[in-house]
Amino acid sequence: MTSNSSRQSAAFAFSETAGVEVDGLVKRYGTLLALDHVSFNVKSGELFALLGPNGAGKTTLLHILCTILSPDEGRALIAGADVVQQALRARRRLGVVFQEPSLHDRLTVYENLEFHGLVCGVPAELRRKRIDEMLQVVELSDWRERLVRTLSVGMKRRLEIARALIHDSRVLFLDEPTVGLDAQSRARIWRYLHELRQQRQLTLIVTTHYIEEVEQADRVAIIDQGKLLAIDTPSALKSAHGHEVLEVSPINVDVRAEILAQHSGQIVKTSDHHITLKVEDGRFIETFLSAYGSRVRAMTRIEPSLESVFLALTGRAIRDQEASARERTLAFGKQGGEHTR
Amino acid sequence: MSAISPLREDDNEFATLVRVICGGVFAIWLREVKRAFRDRGQLFGGFSRPIMWVVIMGVGLNPYFRGEVYGEVRFVVPYTYLQFIFPAVIALNILYTSVQAAVSVIWDREFGFLREVLVSPMPRPFILFGKVLGGATVAMFHGSLALVLSYFADVPISSSDILSGLGLMFLLAFGLTSLGVIIANRIRSFEGFGVFSNAVILPLYFCSSSVFPLDPALTAAQTRVVYPDWLVRVVELNPLTYAVDSLRGNFIHFYQFDPRLGPVIMAGMAVLFFGIALAEFRRN
Repeated sequence: MTSNSSRQSAAFAFSETAGVEVDGLVKRYGTLLALDHVSFNVKSGELFALLGPNGAGKTTLLHILCTILSPDEGRALIAGADVVQQALRARRRLGVVFQEPSLHDRLTVYENLEFHGLVCGVPAELRRKRIDEMLQVVELSDWRERLVRTLSVGMKRRLEIARALIHDSRVLFLDEPTVGLDAQSRARIWRYLHELRQQRQLTLIVTTHYIEEVEQADRVAIIDQGKLLAIDTPSALKSAHGHEVLEVSPINVDVRAEILAQHSGQIVKTSDHHITLKVEDGRFIETFLSAYGSRVRAMTRIEPSLESVFLALTGRAIRDQEASARERTLAFGKQGGEHTR
Repeated sequence: MSAISPLREDDNEFATLVRVICGGVFAIWLREVKRAFRDRGQLFGGFSRPIMWVVIMGVGLNPYFRGEVYGEVRFVVPYTYLQFIFPAVIALNILYTSVQAAVSVIWDREFGFLREVLVSPMPRPFILFGKVLGGATVAMFHGSLALVLSYFADVPISSSDILSGLGLMFLLAFGLTSLGVIIANRIRSFEGFGVFSNAVILPLYFCSSSVFPLDPALTAAQTRVVYPDWLVRVVELNPLTYAVDSLRGNFIHFYQFDPRLGPVIMAGMAVLFFGIALAEFRRN
């Protein structure tokens, strides 16, 4: 009985410190302020999404939290370990899935995991057990003895997730974990992540620009130009910064001109066939319908989305960044210098 | 989904560190070795290079190696050209493989592996140590591939020669791999291995008294009569000269320099180059 209760209290104390604390982080590259006093906390077991356009400071932040870069000011704790002063301890508690492939192509699936286990000092018995378990979780048990170069992109990504969990990682960083994958593989990866999160009290910190993936996060932080612009649950962000919009297609150019003139203050965007208007209050749709009901071909009411929150806060669309990740992958393929890898 | 193992609480900090370092150095070493043995191109080079040098170049030049200067036989060379060149071919194989191992640092840096270990609890110096150790092991192996040709080169080898030879090869390989890492650190865009071969390997090799004896008559005065001053000076300044000399002393018992010089210079190279590589690695 006593041992039971002490275990519970130990588990409680552990979960208290198992998250991430970020306090006043500053990072400069010459005169460029890549991170401008960024502070936030991530609770243990939370799924936390980082959203921001390219060059916003997301990667810099992630690299500081992973102990690859050191901050100029401020501090960060990973499961209670300082990323600068206790870097080795912090690294034992964090796992990373990098955006660029980082597997050993000439080693087998098993050898890759074994390598990671050894490098992280996982004792032999636990190492073998974890490798088996993780391969099962990401459904790669049948591929155990295959060379990694023979795996598909989606499988490699799954293997990278498994790898990051071979040691006792409490916080898992995922930098664009699903970029370049088809919808089915993406869903699969998220299924594994949710399962693992439940089973292992895992804290997940994810950067992604698939908006539907951000929606499932417990909280979202929006970063731009090194500053934290907003941090909240997706629904709170939507109600605070998002707005409902009305997308209408006028039947002819005269009607189009009339709507544009009448509602000039509410225009969000226009295209050849559509006008998107901001819905300012509940009665707007009704008044709009009575005025133009017979003169519009179609009308769609769109609920606030994180996409519109992002647009409202940063003035940029999330999709803008997609090219870069793909470019990098393409560049990787073009290099093709497998010989020395 | 079956239940997964619970997280382990931190145990003794020191014990963990020791486990991380031992396991990590072993893992990185093993990765280097496995990777090299799975690279057929590299293995092919390791076999074909000594064959070319010994069986073609060595056999081809063997009759002309007679201490003859401008048509006049001035001294007696106590070794055949094949015997003379054989230890140098070992050094050449080590040179190629060490630099090749170091080139993989560029790939590690660009594509992942380095990042993966940088976020692991391995202390930085041991990451580099494992890497160089692995590269040196592979280079030593490639160097010993040349030993297979000892029969053709008419070099009788005893098992004690092999043991001491392996030691010398490893020492040389460790220094050269570290040197390769230093060079690789300065390369920002990688255009291929050819640059390395032409700019580093071949000049070092040809200026190490590998394909011609510096002093066939075994007198310093004779050297300057036969060769231009600058060439003699370059050869004497090249640290690889003493490594080749050491290997030659080990396998055919012919030294051009003080036998103690070779191991000392090789050990110096290993320590100095690894030290520089380490200092740079920590800074980045």
